[in-house]
Amino acid sequence: MCLPGYYEYSCRVKIVAGHDALERIPDLLRRLGARRPLLVTDRGVAGAGLVGILREAMGERLEIGAVADDVPPDSDLEAVNRLAVLYRESGCDALIALGGGSVMDTAKGINILVSERGDDLLKFSGAGTLKRPLKPLIAVPTTAGTGSEVTLVAVIKDRQRRLKMAFVSYFLLPDAAILDSRMTLSLPAPITAATGMDALSHAVEAYYCLGKNPLSDVTALAAIRLIGGNLLNVVHNPSDREGRLAMANAAALAGMAFSNSMVGMVHALGHAVGSVCGLPHGVCMAILLPYGLEYNRHKREAVMGELLFPIGGPEIYGKTAPEDRTGRVIAYIRQLNEDLHAATGGRHARFFGEIRDREGNHAAPRRRLPEIARTALGDGAIFYNPEDLDYDDLLMVLEAAWEGMPLDSGRIRKG
Amino acid sequence: MESFREIPAGGKPVKRAYVALMLWFVGRAIQAAARVDEAVGEEFAALPEGFAFSLEVLPGGPAMIVGKDEDGRVRYRGWRPAGRRLDLRMKIKNLEGALLMFTFQESTATATARDRLIVDGEVPAARAVVRILDRVEVYLLPKIVAKLAVKRYPDWPWQEKIANRLRIYAGAILGFP
Amino acid sequence: MFRSAHSFVFRSPTKVLSGARALENLPVELAGMDARRPLVLATADLAARGMERVMTAAFADSGLTVGFLAGVPARPDRELVRDLYGLYRDRGCDSLIALGSGPTPAVAKALNIALSGKPEDLEAAAAGALEDGRPRPLAAIPSLDVSGYEMTRYAELASLSLTAPTAIPGLLVLDRRTVPAEDRKTTAAAALLTLTQALEALLHPDRNHLTNAYAHGAARFVMENLRTALKKPAEGKSRLALANAAFFAQTAFDNLSGGKIFCLGLAISRRCALSPGLIMGLLLPHGLLMEMDREEDPGKDLLLAVGGMDDHALTGKGPGVRKAVDRVVELLLELQSLIPEYPRGIRDIGLRRDDLEELPDAVGEVAGRGTLDPSEVRYLLDKAWETRF
Ligand SMILES: [Fe+2]
Repeated sequence: MCLPGYYEYSCRVKIVAGHDALERIPDLLRRLGARRPLLVTDRGVAGAGLVGILREAMGERLEIGAVADDVPPDSDLEAVNRLAVLYRESGCDALIALGGGSVMDTAKGINILVSERGDDLLKFSGAGTLKRPLKPLIAVPTTAGTGSEVTLVAVIKDRQRRLKMAFVSYFLLPDAAILDSRMTLSLPAPITAATGMDALSHAVEAYYCLGKNPLSDVTALAAIRLIGGNLLNVVHNPSDREGRLAMANAAALAGMAFSNSMVGMVHALGHAVGSVCGLPHGVCMAILLPYGLEYNRHKREAVMGELLFPIGGPEIYGKTAPEDRTGRVIAYIRQLNEDLHAATGGRHARFFGEIRDREGNHAAPRRRLPEIARTALGDGAIFYNPEDLDYDDLLMVLEAAWEGMPLDSGRIRKG
Repeated sequence: MESFREIPAGGKPVKRAYVALMLWFVGRAIQAAARVDEAVGEEFAALPEGFAFSLEVLPGGPAMIVGKDEDGRVRYRGWRPAGRRLDLRMKIKNLEGALLMFTFQESTATATARDRLIVDGEVPAARAVVRILDRVEVYLLPKIVAKLAVKRYPDWPWQEKIANRLRIYAGAILGFP
Repeated sequence: MFRSAHSFVFRSPTKVLSGARALENLPVELAGMDARRPLVLATADLAARGMERVMTAAFADSGLTVGFLAGVPARPDRELVRDLYGLYRDRGCDSLIALGSGPTPAVAKALNIALSGKPEDLEAAAAGALEDGRPRPLAAIPSLDVSGYEMTRYAELASLSLTAPTAIPGLLVLDRRTVPAEDRKTTAAAALLTLTQALEALLHPDRNHLTNAYAHGAARFVMENLRTALKKPAEGKSRLALANAAFFAQTAFDNLSGGKIFCLGLAISRRCALSPGLIMGLLLPHGLLMEMDREEDPGKDLLLAVGGMDDHALTGKGPGVRKAVDRVVELLLELQSLIPEYPRGIRDIGLRRDDLEELPDAVGEVAGRGTLDPSEVRYLLDKAWETRF
């Protein structure tokens, strides 16, 4: 196990997992001194009937102060301000965030406003501006991927001022994350596949990037083992409760790993593809993950080879010579993408070139790759990537990921 | 409680002076590099008009500030961040962390991975500033040290590197505007 | 193997700072919690080893005024907590730093409970009924001579035994300067205690993905670093790894409960002069072997933790526990050859045959014990009594 010269690690979120984890919410809130939460969610989640399941699990034991089920897909300031007012007017004293990353971020934003009694969120942006615990926040993720139930960051868009505000504070961490298999049972196969690959990319990047530390390592390894053993299976058998719970656990474990070690070029590129072309994050992660391994391989051969143990299992690991292990890891992830492609009837994409929008056009047109590369150059994740990347490097990786071709190792400039 | 003692906050004047000197030198070297090195110049050109950033040591300095004038010229703007409008503040959490960086025991990448810095401002700007710092370090430091300070040591033509290095050193020491 | 067998709750409220200049990062962390006047507690012994100077140097340039109290006795009592309460209030302190292991963090936790809530909270914690509350900032800077409780909800004082989840220190600072080299016996004892907590967590019936992950990390660090820490005590990295391991194992322990080896080790140590960790080392092989016939599954995780990936992979489908026990015995024998005064068995530590009758019940007094079957404890005891390594 590695012990870096220095590291920091923290995950204060209480993890509550199980097929009946939701039932613990009233007690959790009571212990936090709260009795009337605002339920923050979005239309999709409510439409899938998850609000109903949650309410039923609460029964008489918890009164929900108000339900806000109109969080936009990209958390924005308008929603935060509006829902903070709803929180106050409904006499709430805590928050339950039920949904994916955007719902979590919105709830964190609301929590800043209602706890600090402020009306201008911008005042609290950046790092270190929050000094006190906020109102109790319970996170109930409805996808198994983002890990935002255990992260200390919130990103909120200010459409008027055309700003993306980032908030970073340990006080933004939810008090508890509820991992309940019922919340992901109805997740469609392609989303299950993409979000699962997002979780895998968190764990894998956490394991080989520069911020790796012993606790991000052990949580990442546990996550990878769970994903390797369950992702394909839940895509085939969506109603497998055990598999769903395993994936929810994996996503939280991977979230703990990467929020402490940070991620690298796979996320830098993925964020850029997302912001330029609007592709879902998990889709980008699935496509780009093998390239992160290939690109950084010369700097991280031994560390990457260890990943074969949780991915391929001890037997394959034992039978593979150390110098061949990284290659097997990369091949395994590519194969996983192929298998997910087959299991979703072709809806899980393996390279950018095969993604089409409703009109049948390329969703990420090749001519936009330069713009994507330029955007990625400004992404913070590059700080944590083992090998350096300039514009040309990013473009080279994007070209390969567009075609679905492995990287030409001769073209990787090794520092 | 006879064994109780109060320890007043002390100071580390020598380490402080060293880091202050390094910051001053790096600040002036950036100013010089912006004119001498094409890539550094382009990085600055791409930053917003009037852009200014600081590299500071918490809790109370030392610091350095570099910014663009209205005419786009890059200038070292001293060591007092208080009261200035800064687009980006990169704060090293403490003097010892700064010392690790400025004695080249930790590269910028390592320091970032080790949470030694707090970045206040837009991330793309911080990325640009770190790219500038990396480039300036390659000019200022002998190859054997710079190789540890940056992720990938560039393969620039050596004549050009030496010529630029001399101009940047001269600029930093003499403070050419 | 890949399943989440049951529902679980896991929590680790601690932020860890570990490594070069970790100590100098403490002021920033305290400031982030609005704390500017910490009270540092330490034993006289640790202070005499130069820790006050280390702290002073670390806090120089931070602008913080530090109160330093170097007089925590080996068996602190409630009186001390009361005195410290007064001192903390009089001096206007707003946070606590526990420097060292054992009694110091125990006092700091008790003091923090008293300071953070209502006066009767200490009684509630003594009854194990203190569940909530928002504690003041408490940073632990443990040394290597761990009790196993430093980073847990338990605080063992003379005539006062506290249990409160909020007592767990919110900050942990591990810096090779504050993990000074100890003698071989102390280092080995700490590592074996850590290994025991870790391996029993991996075998615990309520184990979960997170306790497994933490326990795995702890065991790996012990197995990879203990030998170096003993042979080259001046080498700081292995000491730091052992201190990290102690934290990981204690976190797993805190989220589960103590197993029979841990509890029996502590109970025995109260009747003789040997430190708990060394006793646990003598019990460990037997305790693990008792698990051999139970399940196949944890055996593999056990071997992975003790032997590492390669060891595990080479074993194939063979018995995991058996090989893990072999590894532990190898370690034990090596420790005994490095530490001549390490006894060969529990018969050599001043334990009487009569004690064997009482010990299964005495185990019930150990803080953090799980539900232990007295007949299993007795079986373990008998096995250990018969063996000399
Ligand atoms: Fe992601």
